[in-house]
Amino acid sequence: MRLPQPVNNTVPGPAMPFSPTTTLNMATLGKKLFILSVRMGRGLWHRGIVSSSNPVQSAVEPLEKLQESSSDAITEQMAKSLKYPDFFKVAELFTVEDLFNARVHLGHREGSLNDHMSQFIFGSRLSHLIFDLDQTATLLREALNFTAHIAFRGGIILFVGRIPQHQVMIENTAKECGEYAHTRYWQGGVLTNSTIQFGSVIRLPDLIIFLHTMNNVIYEHTAIRDAAKMLIPTVGIVDTNCNPNLITYPVPGNDDSAASISLFCNLFKAAILRGKEKRKELLGVH
Amino acid sequence: MKAYQEKAQALDALMFEKTTEYEIGRRHLANMMGEDPETFTDEDIDTAIEYLFPSGLFEPRARPLMKHPTEVFARKKVAEFDETGRPFHVLFYTGLPNYYQVLHDLSEKVRELDSFSDRMMQYNIHKDPERTLNVGGTEWVKKEQLEDILLEKLKDKQYEFFVRSMNRLLDHPFSYRVEEFIMKFRKHVQISVIHKEIPKLMFTAEGTPYMAAVGRRKTSTASVTVYGRGSGKISINGEDLLYFKYIQDREQVLFPLQFSGLLGKVDVVADVDGGGFSGQSGAIRYAISMAVRSFVDEQMMEKMRLAGLLTRDPRRHERKKPGWKGARAKYTWKKR
Repeated sequence: MRLPQPVNNTVPGPAMPFSPTTTLNMATLGKKLFILSVRMGRGLWHRGIVSSSNPVQSAVEPLEKLQESSSDAITEQMAKSLKYPDFFKVAELFTVEDLFNARVHLGHREGSLNDHMSQFIFGSRLSHLIFDLDQTATLLREALNFTAHIAFRGGIILFVGRIPQHQVMIENTAKECGEYAHTRYWQGGVLTNSTIQFGSVIRLPDLIIFLHTMNNVIYEHTAIRDAAKMLIPTVGIVDTNCNPNLITYPVPGNDDSAASISLFCNLFKAAILRGKEKRKELLGVH
Repeated sequence: MKAYQEKAQALDALMFEKTTEYEIGRRHLANMMGEDPETFTDEDIDTAIEYLFPSGLFEPRARPLMKHPTEVFARKKVAEFDETGRPFHVLFYTGLPNYYQVLHDLSEKVRELDSFSDRMMQYNIHKDPERTLNVGGTEWVKKEQLEDILLEKLKDKQYEFFVRSMNRLLDHPFSYRVEEFIMKFRKHVQISVIHKEIPKLMFTAEGTPYMAAVGRRKTSTASVTVYGRGSGKISINGEDLLYFKYIQDREQVLFPLQFSGLLGKVDVVADVDGGGFSGQSGAIRYAISMAVRSFVDEQMMEKMRLAGLLTRDPRRHERKKPGWKGARAKYTWKKR
């Protein structure tokens, strides 16, 4: 299927399409769908990397297995992992083509556009908004990287989403990566009044991933505000009608198609599992 | 966190202690009663306590009892998170993990059945009436019972949603494939109707089957004998059906025979006394219905019961009250 030429063409990047440092932008995607081979090692040459502003480091120092589990050594290793821009190589988990095929670029109509989202819009076609997948890919990589780091440090990750069609999918995703899900009616005090809500002192989530930032109706999910209050970082898939303000790592994209939600679920699951694998390597237990 | 862990451990220790005490008590009781300690069951314990501690108290729950600690102490949830604070259950943060887990399983099962029915449609196999799940004599667990199963307090709306969702699963044409899951939440109902002993048919010297019955209505009493292998003769106090002047009373007498289809097949001999024509006809009707039960099968008897033929009409004459015009009617009320 050929993407028609967008009306407001705000195409960035160089004019030469075949130089090695080309960004695979929306215009070229519109003209023909082909995959560029980019300068990469380790069998990544089939993937097209969208933005060259964050080059992926191919060589990663393997984590040293510890003879004795001293907490100082562990924290040292964990601090070391922060020096790399993409320690878990989350960039190889997806391509812009994958996003396109999962229909992540499809937004709602122009009338429901939230003003804060206009920066992420590529254009519109017959008054249907189209996301700029370049930006989406960049932000998604950041979000996946952050998620993987949280999982690496043994953090509790909570998947939240309130659309009934995707409830089961989200809960299964959480189960498969050993994390937690909350796709049901949100009781007010879950984060802000947890001791009384749960009857005892509990550990709150260290990261909340929103597959849907809106409730069933037109309201924002309460957890966005509550997480901000409790200083819990959030990752969220924001559609054209959503407000990305309070979300730490917004990922602009379509949150209404099963295909796009399925893709996002799989990506987050993969990132978490990578983080946990590295953690297992480091601790040498389990 | 630590306090929570300590509480959970304390509970476990308590249960263990109480259970050992219970077992020791069981052996003591067995020795006291002169029974074998190895094979002394819980029911034996109950009888032993009743014997050794006779109580004149009316309320059964106030009498002395010795039950297993799991029955005495309310079941509580086990520890919900480990020492690092990570919860065990995926849906812990919802507040009702067990309840929402059931709903999750339910959704998965509906999907499974839908995909199965899609596959079956390809081979043109539709709902098999023989393999349909039979839930006769069962009903969904009540809210309190569901709370006991899940160990979580539920709101009414949540219970209603649960029942609606389970009904949706039950109504699926292939629901027999998930029978085990459904039956977990269905309990058997006691049949409220107590089936009385229907007296067997008696036989005369000639061999005709007959049944006698007594019926009452208002202040009338009727004793009726219904003879099988008859031709539809009716005799009331020696007279014909025309004993009753009014058609309604005659219809009342004939109704049980017409309903059960025995109108021209049995003879009826009735003796009636007391009351007026309405009461007498009602008494005869009830008596005939009770007698006809022995001639008729269970299905017809159930139909008769539903028609109201087997119910003794308890209405009696209500007295007039002073200051009132009649039993209920009052004199005209004047505002001023």
